[in-house]
Amino acid sequence: MKGVLEDPRKLFGAVISELALQDDRIVIMSADSGKSSGFGDFAAKVPERYFECGIMEQGVTGISSGLATTGKIPVFCAIAPFVTARPFEMFRNDLGYMRQNVKMVGRNGGITYSTLGSTHHSLDDFGLMRLIPGVVSLFPQDPDEIRGACRAMIEHEGPVYMRIGNAKIPGLFDEDIPFVIGKGRKISDGADVTVISTGPLTGSVMEAVSRLRTAGISCDHIGLPTVWPLDEKLILESAVKTGKVVTVEEHYTDGGLGTMVADLCSEKHPVPVRKLGIPNSYATSGPYDELLQYYGLDPDGIAASISSFIR
Amino acid sequence: MMNVEIKKLELAAVRSRLNALRMLRAGGSGHIGGAFSAMDAVTALYFHKMKCDPADPGMKDRDRFILSAGHKCLAQYAVLAEKGYFPKAILDTYGQLKTKLPGHPDMHKLPGVEANTGALGHGLSIGVGMAMGLRLDGSPANVFVVMGDGELPEGSNWEAAMAAAHHGLDNLTVLLDNNGLQISGDVRSIMDLYPIDGHFAAFGWNTVTIDGNDMSELVGTLDGVPFKNGKPTLILMKTVKAKGLKIGEGKAAYHYWSPKPDELKQAEDDLRAEESRLEAEIKAVRV
Repeated sequence: MKGVLEDPRKLFGAVISELALQDDRIVIMSADSGKSSGFGDFAAKVPERYFECGIMEQGVTGISSGLATTGKIPVFCAIAPFVTARPFEMFRNDLGYMRQNVKMVGRNGGITYSTLGSTHHSLDDFGLMRLIPGVVSLFPQDPDEIRGACRAMIEHEGPVYMRIGNAKIPGLFDEDIPFVIGKGRKISDGADVTVISTGPLTGSVMEAVSRLRTAGISCDHIGLPTVWPLDEKLILESAVKTGKVVTVEEHYTDGGLGTMVADLCSEKHPVPVRKLGIPNSYATSGPYDELLQYYGLDPDGIAASISSFIR
Repeated sequence: MMNVEIKKLELAAVRSRLNALRMLRAGGSGHIGGAFSAMDAVTALYFHKMKCDPADPGMKDRDRFILSAGHKCLAQYAVLAEKGYFPKAILDTYGQLKTKLPGHPDMHKLPGVEANTGALGHGLSIGVGMAMGLRLDGSPANVFVVMGDGELPEGSNWEAAMAAAHHGLDNLTVLLDNNGLQISGDVRSIMDLYPIDGHFAAFGWNTVTIDGNDMSELVGTLDGVPFKNGKPTLILMKTVKAKGLKIGEGKAAYHYWSPKPDELKQAEDDLRAEESRLEAEIKAVRV
């Protein structure tokens, strides 16, 4: 619901637990990570479908694949770099190459574990996942989209990666539209520039777009809760209309949503693309809001970048 | 078990080795050393131990086979072909464009293959998950994982070994092909991984050590596993690298083999002589 703050981890855990109580194919995997992913109650209620393995994310990825070969739907949630970068080869071979129906969820994603340092940041996860054929990547933008994404990823047959954050996030939209993997959302119409965002940062982009409108710049704003596969139709229609594209993401500007959008545009409709995100470096630590501001990903920074790009 | 039944299994293993040479004849080279050291065990599993049906490779409650040391796939392909999972003509495509027999197995290309393995030291994790899933379903099926000794230093093995014991997976058996040699030489000189049985025992596994190239010992041991005592089981198989390839037996250099034509012919002739001997012995017992 618009404006209501919810904890993404607790919400994710509650929605998946509810689905798992109705569908005994769903099993919850833990690398000492399940309870902090919101599965404490489920573990107590249904211990036989809660597999605690201790801190061994590579092992858990392989174990999840094996479980999936027997018809189970394993859901494995841990801190984002530890379900993507650490078990990358297992993700590629056991889930991608073997085409197994496993749902990998990276929580505290991006730089939301802001003060814990670069070991606990995930700014390469979407780029890594993009390179594994057949993997869907989701990054819901608000609590309602987390609800929808949880259901959609369980219904989807095949490996899925979903990123969620840490701190509470607000509802962004008046309308709770059905979550369809691969479908984006037109947030506002404009003619001067296309702005494409993903994840909860979309809220800051909406604020930036609103300020730009006051300054006489109209943005065609697209929100993408699915990072991959891209909603090509929505992106290209807008690129054709505006002739300029800005992408905004909590990810390296190399290899993430911006790169994917630029690849698409260069092939189908070449236009200038400006990628906003974190430069390819080990991000500094600090309070989350201050980090976003430092990297120009707060509403003011985003508005300034868009404004300078189109002028 | 009757002596003739053992001889029939030995015959199946010899014919499987001939199937492997047929693939080398088509493709020119392959990981012969580990395939031949494990061939007797893989044969015993498919022809004696496992509940499986080549006409119904996805049969419910079938026993699962995972080749963690995926480079030994010549053994898996050879035995699957001998068992009738696919026409032997496919063996002649080894090494060719779009073959169903890649140098490490692919479950989506060939019936009977349950996992895509060969990134070493990781098949056991997949086997642990299969064993968990089968137990959750109340299935009587067992999971058998063939591992190599050279892949043991990989950490993922020990994650899986720990998880298997912690979760009491007594429907899981590892057959560890301890031929003692890997591509660069003696396993002990590369990374001392002994005592292998001691390491698994310390993780909470049952362990038993056998001659993995002796069909009677293989059958006798497999008849008794899994022990169903709440623990997973390790069968530590002492084997000879390239067993059955006379010029390569016990030599690390035959980890991977690109035979010259006369070497390949000699190897085939040797195995055909062994095949004839076993056929005659089996026939004599029947008469």
